[in-house]
Amino acid sequence: MAPSLFGRRRRVAAAVPLAVALLLTGCSGAASSGAADASGDQLLTIPREDMGTFTRNFNPFSPNVAPMTQQAIYEPMFVYNPADGSTTPWLATEWTTAEDGLSVTFTLRSGVRWSDGEPFTAEDVAFTFPLQKELLGGYEYLESVEATDERTVTFTLNRPFSPALFELGKQVIIPRHVWEDVADPAKDTNPEPVGTGPYTEVANFQSQSFELMPNPNYWQPEKQRIAGIRMLAFAGNTGANLAATNGEVDWAPQFIPNIQESYVAHDPEHRHYWFPPTGAMINWHMNTTKAPFDDPAVRKALSQAIDRETIVEVGMNGYTEPADCTGLSGGYELWRDQSLVDSCDWTTFDAEAAGKALDEAGYPMGPDGTRTMPNGEPFAFDISVGSSSSDWLSVANIISQNLAEIGVTANVDSPDWPAVSADYENGTFDTGIVWSGNGPTPYEFYRDSMGTERVKPVGERALENYHRYGTEEADRLLAQFAATSDEAEQRAVVNDLQALFAEHAPVVPLFPGPEWGAYTDVRFTGWPTAENPYATLSARASTTVLVLTSLTPVTG
Amino acid sequence: MRFILRNLGFYLIAFWTSITLNFLLPRFMPGDPVSRMFSQAQDQMRPEQMDELRRLFGLDDRPLWEQYLSYVGNVFTGEMGTSISRFPTPVSEVIGSQIGWTLLLGATALLIAVVVGNLLGVLAAWRRGGPLDSALPPLLVFVGSFPYFWLAMGALYLFGVTLGWFPLRHAFDVGLTPEFSWPFLSNVASHLVLPALTIVLVTIGGWMLGMRNTMIATVAEDYITMAEAKGLRPGRIMFRYAARNALLPSVTNFGMALGFVVGGALLTEVVFAYPGVGYQLLDAVQGLDYPLMQGIFLTITAAVLVANFVVDIIYVRLDPRVRAR
Repeated sequence: MAPSLFGRRRRVAAAVPLAVALLLTGCSGAASSGAADASGDQLLTIPREDMGTFTRNFNPFSPNVAPMTQQAIYEPMFVYNPADGSTTPWLATEWTTAEDGLSVTFTLRSGVRWSDGEPFTAEDVAFTFPLQKELLGGYEYLESVEATDERTVTFTLNRPFSPALFELGKQVIIPRHVWEDVADPAKDTNPEPVGTGPYTEVANFQSQSFELMPNPNYWQPEKQRIAGIRMLAFAGNTGANLAATNGEVDWAPQFIPNIQESYVAHDPEHRHYWFPPTGAMINWHMNTTKAPFDDPAVRKALSQAIDRETIVEVGMNGYTEPADCTGLSGGYELWRDQSLVDSCDWTTFDAEAAGKALDEAGYPMGPDGTRTMPNGEPFAFDISVGSSSSDWLSVANIISQNLAEIGVTANVDSPDWPAVSADYENGTFDTGIVWSGNGPTPYEFYRDSMGTERVKPVGERALENYHRYGTEEADRLLAQFAATSDEAEQRAVVNDLQALFAEHAPVVPLFPGPEWGAYTDVRFTGWPTAENPYATLSARASTTVLVLTSLTPVTG
Repeated sequence: MRFILRNLGFYLIAFWTSITLNFLLPRFMPGDPVSRMFSQAQDQMRPEQMDELRRLFGLDDRPLWEQYLSYVGNVFTGEMGTSISRFPTPVSEVIGSQIGWTLLLGATALLIAVVVGNLLGVLAAWRRGGPLDSALPPLLVFVGSFPYFWLAMGALYLFGVTLGWFPLRHAFDVGLTPEFSWPFLSNVASHLVLPALTIVLVTIGGWMLGMRNTMIATVAEDYITMAEAKGLRPGRIMFRYAARNALLPSVTNFGMALGFVVGGALLTEVVFAYPGVGYQLLDAVQGLDYPLMQGIFLTITAAVLVANFVVDIIYVRLDPRVRAR
């Protein structure tokens, strides 16, 4: 039998030169689309760096929905832009909150049609919310949604809750006439979506890329200037950044290290980036159920001992800015109390003052240069960060070095993220670097950082407020905020909340998360910039639709 | 026949062990897929949604043994559940849509490495101490000892970015629709060159050295001397007498490598954004997507075991000595 196998083997050997020849001939046709296409029909090409492959799932209720579903296919009633604090009416033209704060009424835009030609009505809105609530939860303050006429929707709340307006407004609306026939909306993949958005027609769906072509019935056809959107799948930032560097994508909404040299320098005339610090605040969380973190003087002293300028420059590539003692990210610029910022000092680097504060609080420096706790144990703890977040890891390392200088030992502990967040959730961690809640108003941030509503005892699973700190004073202010929709009154309450945060230091704010965004205007112009911040450069935000309806293709 | 049956028993036990490990390991990992998704989405997801998601994914809180029993049952019916990171796509569909590319990449690279490597091994041993024998093995071992990731990135940078000879990513150009036509197939082939080439570069040294060493031992055998004494043509002695006998260990290795084709190209797929199951495995592990992880592991395990079983059978035919026990 052996000879026959050997014979087969020889045949395989003979096939090798052929295969090599085939591979070599293949090379000639290897030119990728990188040239500047300016026919006017060029597709807006956007990479998605965290999806190695796409699955054809355009169900907006799915947690793994295909990119652009919430941005280009389905639309919300209004678009809130954290970059300039403006609100743009979208599917709704007006909205009012009742005097008692118990109901919100939206007036819908007339003349809007779904991509299949059916009219968009208040029934669609009234259908969307209960479904969203049933499938994904949330909206626990929502009593009922009613279409009072063709173009009016009234939301009844079970308690006055002013932040509701923004949550209701940003919910994307789905067509009732399509979804009421879907047997199991949670599991449907919605392969042929029907939406009101500018780009709804799925074309050429492959696992590595797909295209969205214009909605034939869009309500503002004069803004559908681009021929279509093409999404590319990448198994990580490296591949997506390579495509950006090579000029193969128009929009690079992902983290690019050393962006000036690795991206802009290849074509400084056309390539730009803008990282507005409007993301969630990144905080150093301390487990306030453990000594010494239960002492606000210690939290403030440790905060004062760390050099945020270096953290931002070295750890974050200089892409963001140091936080101040209001804890508010750049998205809340309009709410920030500047006089408070100027008056408090625990977020300003001063190692000497920090050391003195610790001496006074009863954490003396020993003769060996390390501090001890009042009970004589060494002042040492862990900073836990997920090993895959290299930027935050270097932030933790800088904190650790800073603290060593005032005699405090902070070990950077970096297992995989699931292990880190498990410790955060059950309250067994010492300290960690954690993002915060980020909503259109500062309500969410302060509720999660110092309201008692989200505080769980150690051992019980917490999903927010990992640091387990809450004061009733904050609850009182938060309730006041939720009860009023008067802007002056809200502002007064937020000022009090800021002062309370500065006093208690529930978490140590480090820097606001930047929203990554880079673009080349070789093929498309009209991008948002720091000078014209009509949207952020994020491709996953609710403002993305503003970018899609503002771009103009370069022709000729 | 008894030999095959005995082996079959062994393979069944191995299969059972691996599916049991496959069941247990992900469950010992800290965290759960929903809180993982929550922490990844950062501020995009509300905590109230998490319980709903758990319900939606059908994450079970039944006792472990009950989950295990239904898991084993499902393994035999081929029902692998629904992927969490690609919800609501069934695991079998996720794997099915990607595995073709992985097989194409892995099989091409393996075939080239095995054929060329063995051929070089035969030639090197035949001209022992000659230029081929003294230059190539150290060179290939040197290349093969590079960290693979680095080598792949280097090749990508040099041949893709700088020289622009080969495409940088994906299995074919964006905008093309898969079809059986010359332009499409040649496009696929050009996308295959760099990923396959890098795998061949790191693996070929092993094949060559293995073949060379067995071949040297074989060439020293008496029957080769006799064949030479009879005045047979050197080419005939080299291939028909020596190489044929020296091939046996390579066949075993080939069987093992065949099994690893499914899971072995993970890094390649990540570097070249090649749409195969390797990247999906990484994705599944990072997202704690148990069903998908188990599905892929199961596929890999099955592939390795089946390939080995087949090689065992072939081996019996090739070398009667294994039967005589």
